[in-house]
Amino acid sequence: MTTLRPFTCNDLYKFNNVNLDPLTETYGLSFYMQYLAHWPEYFTVAESPSGEIMGYIMGKAEGHGENWHGHVTALTVSLEYRRLGLAATLMNCLEDVSEKKRAYFVDLFVRVSNKVAINMYTNLGYIVYRTVLEYYSGDPDENAYDMRKALSRDVKQKSVIPLSHPVRPEDVE
Amino acid sequence: MASRAHVQDNSVVERRLRPVYDWLDTGNNKKALQECDKVLKKTPNLHCAKALKALALLRIGKESECTTLLNNLVAEKPSDDATLQAITLCYRELQHLDKICTLYQTAIQIDPSNEELHTHLFMSYVRISDFRMQQQSALNLYKLKPKNPYYCWAVMSVILQATRGQGKRDPQKKKVLLSLAERMMDKQKTEDKLEAEPEVQLYLIILELQEKYEEALAVLESPLGTMLTCSPPTMYKLPYLIKMKRWRGVNLFCKNILTESMDRWDVWKEYINSVFQLMSSKPHVNNHMDENIKTENSAGNGENEFYSVDDTPEKAHEFICSIVENGADNGKQRYLLRGPYLARFELCSHLIKVGTDTTDLLGETMELFIEYFHKFGHKSCCVSDLKIYLQLLDSDKRSELATRLLRDVGISATSVPKSEHQMQRHICSLQISRLCGNQRNLSSDYLQAMVTALSLHYQHGYQTYGTNLLPTDPGPSDAYAILASHVLYDLAIAQNSSQPLVCALVLLENLLRNSPSNFNAKLLCVKFYHLLGCGAGAHHWYESLDIKHLQLDSLGYIHCSQLYSRGMFTLAAGLYDTTLKFFTSNYKDSSDHLTFSYKFGSFIKLEEFMDFRERLNNSLHYVTTAVDKIILSLVQCSSIENLYSIDLVPKDNKIEWEELRDNRDVSVHLSWDPERIEGSMEDNLDMKLLVEQDMALLRLRFLLVRSFSISLDIVKSSDGVRSKHVEDLRDVLKDWKNTHSKVAEKHYKMFETICVAYPLPSHLHAYLELPFSECLIRVFDLFCAVATEVFTDDISALSKDVCTSLSRLVDNISRTIKVQNESKDCLWNAANVLEQVVNTVEVFSLTTLVCLLAHDLLKLPQGSKKSKKKVDSAFRDRLQEVAVHKKQQMQKIEESLDAWNYLGEFSDNLTDRLAALNLNVNGQDSVKEQLKSSHEIALKEIRIVLRSKVKLLSASFNS
Repeated sequence: MTTLRPFTCNDLYKFNNVNLDPLTETYGLSFYMQYLAHWPEYFTVAESPSGEIMGYIMGKAEGHGENWHGHVTALTVSLEYRRLGLAATLMNCLEDVSEKKRAYFVDLFVRVSNKVAINMYTNLGYIVYRTVLEYYSGDPDENAYDMRKALSRDVKQKSVIPLSHPVRPEDVE
Repeated sequence: MASRAHVQDNSVVERRLRPVYDWLDTGNNKKALQECDKVLKKTPNLHCAKALKALALLRIGKESECTTLLNNLVAEKPSDDATLQAITLCYRELQHLDKICTLYQTAIQIDPSNEELHTHLFMSYVRISDFRMQQQSALNLYKLKPKNPYYCWAVMSVILQATRGQGKRDPQKKKVLLSLAERMMDKQKTEDKLEAEPEVQLYLIILELQEKYEEALAVLESPLGTMLTCSPPTMYKLPYLIKMKRWRGVNLFCKNILTESMDRWDVWKEYINSVFQLMSSKPHVNNHMDENIKTENSAGNGENEFYSVDDTPEKAHEFICSIVENGADNGKQRYLLRGPYLARFELCSHLIKVGTDTTDLLGETMELFIEYFHKFGHKSCCVSDLKIYLQLLDSDKRSELATRLLRDVGISATSVPKSEHQMQRHICSLQISRLCGNQRNLSSDYLQAMVTALSLHYQHGYQTYGTNLLPTDPGPSDAYAILASHVLYDLAIAQNSSQPLVCALVLLENLLRNSPSNFNAKLLCVKFYHLLGCGAGAHHWYESLDIKHLQLDSLGYIHCSQLYSRGMFTLAAGLYDTTLKFFTSNYKDSSDHLTFSYKFGSFIKLEEFMDFRERLNNSLHYVTTAVDKIILSLVQCSSIENLYSIDLVPKDNKIEWEELRDNRDVSVHLSWDPERIEGSMEDNLDMKLLVEQDMALLRLRFLLVRSFSISLDIVKSSDGVRSKHVEDLRDVLKDWKNTHSKVAEKHYKMFETICVAYPLPSHLHAYLELPFSECLIRVFDLFCAVATEVFTDDISALSKDVCTSLSRLVDNISRTIKVQNESKDCLWNAANVLEQVVNTVEVFSLTTLVCLLAHDLLKLPQGSKKSKKKVDSAFRDRLQEVAVHKKQQMQKIEESLDAWNYLGEFSDNLTDRLAALNLNVNGQDSVKEQLKSSHEIALKEIRIVLRSKVKLLSASFNS
């Protein structure tokens, strides 16, 4: 049971129950503001009947030509509201917007260790397009999967032919 | 540097300046400065090099050199982009935003057809929120280059004049401005010039502000509506229909959406509401029914063919049931959706509100809960879902519900869950039971037994389902331990005993070894350690939460505001700095976000951004931290030179008292106290009272800082201006006295500590408990007298007064510590005693500094009139007396601290209790260790402060 609505600045004040989760990064203010100013339609929050934040998704559209695509920057669901299919609902929102923007595909990065997330994205039709070496800094650095799903505009599904070799972070984008 | 511009003149210049940019980018400002000087040797008149030099100077802290250079440079009227951008950066960092406007105005005079310069001028007005000038510059820009976005900038600027400028307090003006904005857009529309989503959104903003929903709906239905590709229809159409009270339209629109997506809560709520609206308006429209339908149909509700309007609870119930049935058939759904089930509660709640019996339609309300629990009890969200509807049951029914749910789960005192699902259902039923008040008013023995059971369940759950998890995974049975620590908190409050809190800490720290990322457990640890006066223990867990950026504001209350009172001066100073840095740098940046909104055409976000900017800047926590930081610097001040260099102006004195906002996120704490049924924590009356108390304390402490700041001005000022400052000080002292008595008269009651999720009580209580303010005000009075150089008999009385009041504070401390040492539970009251000690030490430190200032005042070379000399020596004698007295008293404080037995004797009972909880009894060692070492740190910090003040006094007054 969810209210989906555009994420607003005030939500930044009440998203702690989601963001204190160890796998959810809290970014500097400017980062959120930039997304809100540039891609407000890509920043959606799910709110519970009692007004708590259940989760949110933030993303953007970028790239030229056949590389024009939607990107998932952050997707997170609070502990209390997991296993309800909420992440899928939020991904749907982002894919919808990307379709409307005539994007060719949607992509995202995920820690190779985050099996739960990878599994979920696979169920939603995403494939591992390539591995990005040491994308996440930490001790030790961790690789990322760059996962993709083709949208209707990519009729020939050209965007989702996996690369056979991993890439370095500096080669991405 | 984000906006590095290309130097257009020639590539040579660009090549020469490149290293400067690189050094600035990497933060090596000294190197940048050297490089600038090199370039300026070759080309002494290169504007850009000068501007960059100014920037480098500013960043290494040479502000005055920077400003001189800037002023000279600006006088030369630079107009190339790179130079202007570098100057802009300087002004931004100096917060001279208005000068950026002048800069570009001048540049445009030189190069009037430069689109880029016009854009920068527009943005410079955005930064200072000068909406009129924004409008003008946008129109100029549009004349120069007729691009749609520029036109929209102008329209948006008109809107802002209406909503935040002249129109804010003048409804007539607002009307005129909005209709101007509308005409401006109409013009574009008739000329077929509207071609993108932001433009249509802007148009709708104008119509909404004028409440012209009819017109707005028409826009949605027109070809313009198709441009709103990225906005969901619920964003516009539904709110319009609601505003116009077109309940039939709302009803049909919602049904249409719900059939597709049955989990949309906002839509369900509007649907149910529309049913009741239709029901209540029925008798009135009976005769005009057909007409009504017709007019609504004409608004284009094409859906009517498929759906009929539901205008009775029966029809609504039927609709809900049909959705449930369809949902059950729908194999595509991997998850059972809660929407229609919760919609039933909403329907029930509406029925009760209008006084209709619900049993005919929905059966016993209690059964709704039971059914929901059967379906969703294994989901952790079940409790939050049901929480808001528990109000539908009276307290007897609630209690009955709780009992039934617990029985249904089927776990007795001697059995354990057989599956993870059953465990989750057990947890849910326990949480609901707590919400229903079934854990209130129970005997201590019962509660103890419950804690034991919960602790054992936690361990069983962990061993059965929780091993082999990643450190980032939540532990499946953690909720048992969290619940147990809540019950322990209840016990502590009920018995006024520290032992349950120590137990809870052992339990929670044990949990955190198993699931190191459980933030709820960490939040509780922070709170419980603070309750026991243990700042260092709280700090350990606070650190592990990795709180940063905006969280410093929303969560600062859990720790930052507490550290000082726990005697953790060094830690407090560090956290104050981090917090203030966040606020100041973000306020500077926040004007950029506004310019982004214009750049990307996200007009829908503009007002939201402006509100947010104000919310951040008017944060109560921000101002409190700024004031506390100054007081802490004074308390820690160990030399007179140091005193003169402390910045005593919190937030540049730009404090809008009426606008201060409490930005706390109190909902972050999970809890199932019955009070939470009644609504959000933020709306809670106790919370409002807490904010009021914090605000009152801030006001008092702000006046204290003001008094200090003016006193310094007095010492620094020459004879002529001094009397003006003295006048100011008298005014502030008067204000302070008044404020203090007003606050004291209110006899604020201590914030209820009954719910574990409530923030700690305000420091105001401890502050008012003893005559701290009075004592300080007296010393300032004495200082005023010295400054006015009039010695009367009152002065002797005043200095005696100061001595007596200081002695009273010290006597109080000695007495309190003595009582504390004799108490059976030393720990329970330790936080309060520590706060009293810190407050007393604060008063001693601050009054010491005032005495030193008075002493400095007397030292100043003055006329050699004999009478003057006599007066001075009379003052000197009084100050001398005060100083000697203070030193003795501070000695006494130290003696009391030496005698303080903080931990006292833990009763052996604790070991038994821990054993009963099946917890490793050694777990208490780390908690005790933490408590002990924190106390040692606090006392050490306090002693350092005291000794430094004694030293200062000795240096100025020979004893």
